[in-house]
Amino acid sequence: MASMVANGNRDGRQGEALVLKGVDPETCMIVFKNHWAQVVKILEKHDPLRSNTSSNMAALGVIGLSSGGPMRFGGPIPGDEASAVQNYVEHILFLLMEEDAGQAGAMGPILEFVVMENVMERLFLWSLRRQFTDDMKLEQLKMYEMIVGQARQPLLHHKPVLRPLMMLLSSCSGTAGPEVEAELVSLLNQLCCVLAKDQSVLELFFHTSEDQGAANFLIFSLLIPFIHREGLVGQQARDALLLIMSLSAENQRVAQHIAENTYFCPVLATGLSGLYSSLPTKLEVPGEEWHCLHREDWLQMPTLVQFLNSLEFCNAVIQVAHPNIRDQLVSYIYNGFLVPVLAPALHKPTLEEVMTTTAYLDLFVRSVSEPVLLQTFLSFILLHRHENVHILDTLVSRINTPFQLGTVSLALFQTLIGLYCEDVMLQLILRYLIPCNHMMLSQRRVVKERDFYSVSAAKILALTPSCCSPEHSPPPLRQLDSILWSKGTDNSPNTGTMETEETFLEEDGSGYSCVIGSEIYLDVNYLHYLYNARLGISSCTRACQVWSAPYDGEDPPPEESHPHPRPRPPCPPQTTDPAPTNQLELEWDDSYDAGPVVSPEAATAESSKPPQLPAAEPPKHIQEMRRTAIMLVKGSYIEESDFQDDVMVYDLVAKKDARDTVTKGSKEVKAHVADHNSNLQSPLAEVGDDLMGQYEELIRTLGSDEAGTGGSSPVKTVDKEFRNPVVTPMEEDEVDFSSFSMDTPELEKQHSSLFGTKLCSGSTRSHSVPFTGPFVSVLLSRLENMLDNSLHVNLLLTGILAQLAAYPQPLLQSFLLNTNMVFQPSVRSLYQVLASLKNQIEQQASTKKDFPKLITSAQHCLLARESSLKGQDSRECSPLEAGRMMKSSPPPQPKTISLARTEVFATVLFTEFLKELAAIAQEHSILSHVPMEE
Amino acid sequence: MNLNPFWSMSTNTGRKRSDGEEQSGEQQQQRASPARPSFGKKQLPSIPKNAVPITKPASPAATAQLANGTHASYGPFYLEYSLLAEFTLVIKQKLPGIYVQPSYKSALMWFGVIFIRHGLYQDGVFKFTVYIPDNYPDGECPRVVFDIPVFHPLVDPVSGELDVRRAFTKWRRNHNHIWQVLMYARTVFYKINTMEPLNPEAAVLFFRYDKDVQLFKSKVVDSVKLCNSHLFDQPKMDDPYAISFSSWNPAIHDEAKERMFSHKRRPEDHQKGLPVSGLSWVKPGSTQPFSKDDNPPLS
Repeated sequence: MASMVANGNRDGRQGEALVLKGVDPETCMIVFKNHWAQVVKILEKHDPLRSNTSSNMAALGVIGLSSGGPMRFGGPIPGDEASAVQNYVEHILFLLMEEDAGQAGAMGPILEFVVMENVMERLFLWSLRRQFTDDMKLEQLKMYEMIVGQARQPLLHHKPVLRPLMMLLSSCSGTAGPEVEAELVSLLNQLCCVLAKDQSVLELFFHTSEDQGAANFLIFSLLIPFIHREGLVGQQARDALLLIMSLSAENQRVAQHIAENTYFCPVLATGLSGLYSSLPTKLEVPGEEWHCLHREDWLQMPTLVQFLNSLEFCNAVIQVAHPNIRDQLVSYIYNGFLVPVLAPALHKPTLEEVMTTTAYLDLFVRSVSEPVLLQTFLSFILLHRHENVHILDTLVSRINTPFQLGTVSLALFQTLIGLYCEDVMLQLILRYLIPCNHMMLSQRRVVKERDFYSVSAAKILALTPSCCSPEHSPPPLRQLDSILWSKGTDNSPNTGTMETEETFLEEDGSGYSCVIGSEIYLDVNYLHYLYNARLGISSCTRACQVWSAPYDGEDPPPEESHPHPRPRPPCPPQTTDPAPTNQLELEWDDSYDAGPVVSPEAATAESSKPPQLPAAEPPKHIQEMRRTAIMLVKGSYIEESDFQDDVMVYDLVAKKDARDTVTKGSKEVKAHVADHNSNLQSPLAEVGDDLMGQYEELIRTLGSDEAGTGGSSPVKTVDKEFRNPVVTPMEEDEVDFSSFSMDTPELEKQHSSLFGTKLCSGSTRSHSVPFTGPFVSVLLSRLENMLDNSLHVNLLLTGILAQLAAYPQPLLQSFLLNTNMVFQPSVRSLYQVLASLKNQIEQQASTKKDFPKLITSAQHCLLARESSLKGQDSRECSPLEAGRMMKSSPPPQPKTISLARTEVFATVLFTEFLKELAAIAQEHSILSHVPMEE
Repeated sequence: MNLNPFWSMSTNTGRKRSDGEEQSGEQQQQRASPARPSFGKKQLPSIPKNAVPITKPASPAATAQLANGTHASYGPFYLEYSLLAEFTLVIKQKLPGIYVQPSYKSALMWFGVIFIRHGLYQDGVFKFTVYIPDNYPDGECPRVVFDIPVFHPLVDPVSGELDVRRAFTKWRRNHNHIWQVLMYARTVFYKINTMEPLNPEAAVLFFRYDKDVQLFKSKVVDSVKLCNSHLFDQPKMDDPYAISFSSWNPAIHDEAKERMFSHKRRPEDHQKGLPVSGLSWVKPGSTQPFSKDDNPPLS
């Protein structure tokens, strides 16, 4: 019969398939029955009950399930008999697999026989009766994997096939070695694929599970322990779960089951916490320049890779799952990971720990793509209060730390601003600008005004220090001679008209060329800035189309935006009885198998070992664990349906975490002071004052060459900042808030410190007094110290400001770029800071003889850096650095200059920054006014 | 519209051609021009023969100072962007019956055409060129020169230049914009003013409208006819962006027309293909983050 022609394409079975070719079904059936008769003979010989029915099945099954130990009825089974069965079974299954479905989807005769005779169950029992070892399980799992994957008719629809499969699965869970686990997950994955294709099976899976008692939808529950597993097994499990997740989007029952009866979401979220706790609490920073975790950094850290895998999985689940699951998961991530784990981690006692956490947070935000998940992270950052202070405010205040923490914080904000997220921008800056208090009343109409004639750009460029004016740079730094400007309408026909062409901006491939004329130099470099400004503004403008308002000084209206309390972040229910935390932890750690939830101590002790495999427990173990956990929390048994109580468990985890860090921190609180030449590390737990003394001294030496730059006092600033790590949380926050205003004008300072206290007392400050917000304030403060900042800090700083300037909202634009705007006297503008920098630079230039030479060396050095960055895959290099593109034709002269000459590098960077800002201002005058059809 | 931030100007090509020594470079440049992308650089072309010689070219020094910066090198950028800004403003105004397009070679020269839809000059289609002084916006007002001198009291019968200055005695930056000049060029054909005419004959005829009404009218009609008869002529200036008319060619125009009429200006549709990179959970009318109703609850 044609239908019996075996499919020669089936891998690994080709040989046997050929054997079957041309064999008619009747013959197959006869062979099958013969083989089965042989098997039954052996089976019955060893069956103590001599029973053909499956009535005793359940009893045996339960016993079999509960242990992997020997199950012997009627003495040991001889090896030759076992292998005989094995042989027959192979043939039987092969015949079953190769059988086609009967007419109109009916069972084929072999399958019918299998169902009638309960073949699969009996085979399973047989394997239980022998020693149910890992090998045996492996054999059985492979058997099912083969027939499920390759059978030509649906097998799973039949209970006599499905039931033993389910029993096998549950008996394999949590007990076995890695090989069995791998095979188990592989089979589960296969079953999920079947489910995804044929939803009618779903019903049966639910139904069958009910026979098993507690565990509904066993396939799913079995996969959960592998969610956070590394390697192929984890990946397969996650893929399989994702299949079910997409199933849930269409199938309400699945969604409901997962959300209400499984611990999928809590496991996923707490797994993140577990994996997070095994991350290094302190990063080994490759260099001073380092400020964020790049791909090549985290690829070196297996624990971080594993965390990111799980985070990516959460991201994927949120993307495909039913809204119920999505919302639940998001809520668990918020209440089970961000609030109890990440928030305390952001407030750890040492700078390095805090810096590390900040870098992680930045990486997480960059790794998340699904808006709902991103929103969870952002609302944590923007709205969550830790010990009564918003995370955001704490992060902002840290920008001002003169350590790597400051740089890493800057990088985090660069990421945040790069999201083009209205909520972020609102909280960071716009909410302070909406009332329009920062400008004179008469200036409100100027907000939307357009700068027709590039007046602002001209004013910004006019701040170019004389030592950096383009005419002063020798080639190749001076690229002015590549374009000359010739005036078309000139009446001087004899002026030079040497016209050549030069192609530049190779990157955009548009083959720009230009004519070189006569008298006027053009700054070619500036064209790159214009080009980048155009790209930046266009993409930002496009992105901001989803925003709710234009922020143009009229919408939202300035009058109505009176001080409003920030919306309270969602608070988890308070736990009433935190007493038995100790016990609980143990329970939690051992049983919550999804990820290694280990305390930091344990983590360090066992860091070399791979994470513990799930505990060997029956599939109900999750429920068990949870019940004990809740019992411990409440001191009494609580109905399982009381699901919300999980939040308490998170709280306990958080408390444990906090306690750990406190004890740990008190032992080794350290501060890491970096300066030009030396690293000073001092333990400062009880000797805070002593350290402060040392520190101030250090700062004094650093600040010695920093002339009076308009009242900015790094000593004071640093001093205040530095105390953060050692003071109690409440003080810390106050200090944080006054620090950013240390060198701001008097009026503003008063109010910003007022702001700080008010924040602590839980209310918001009034907007009646001009204040452009802590973020702007702190950025400008750091910018004002540009000459003392290291190169990379300045790169980040100017990058962020350029990023902000590219936003099309008139409120922001007018504040940052409109040089004609008249602000309130107490408000410091970007232009003011730039002007003061120019003065500082001119002063330096006039007092230092070799300044021009140094400038040239620095320019060469930066050019070399630029080309080396271009050489590598600089995809992750900040847009700013790309914007700094100076065309580098000849190799730089090898005159070296120490990066410690920050004032020299800052001067070069300052000049480039002016161009960048001017270019952005110019492009705004066009792009923001082009009708949107384009 | 492509507003390329880059342009360059060359000196009068006609004059340069005679300059033997410079010729090679110039020719090279000329050859290169057509191959440039359509949005390429602009250069100020040779002054057209029929154009009035430019009266007061600014010296380079003046340009440099006007730029208000310390460096002469940025002056041209400011000028370019000022003109781009003006052009975007013209587009925004959507002036009825007027179309302009900056020339390929220079942002200081714009080609235009005006359609008169009613009144004495009904059915007139007049091509013109706008010349913008290179010290814009601090110089004189831009000039408007019709390709063919239209019979009109305010149009010079020889050069075809419209008397714009009477409306813009002093060009004031921030107050005066090029779209106003274009608007004015349109208005003169609807509301005729005869004071201090550039074309006294037309003015006189118009002034004596009652008596010579027929004569004036017929002169206008003749002029309109003349202009329209030259409509399909090659553009006066050899510039890829010069406005040229061609007679209806179904093979080309039918499809274009079809597309124009079926095109719906809905930017949202336009953007749909692109992934929206921006984020917002702010409820319109609120200044609270995450105030939208559809935010998933976090607790």
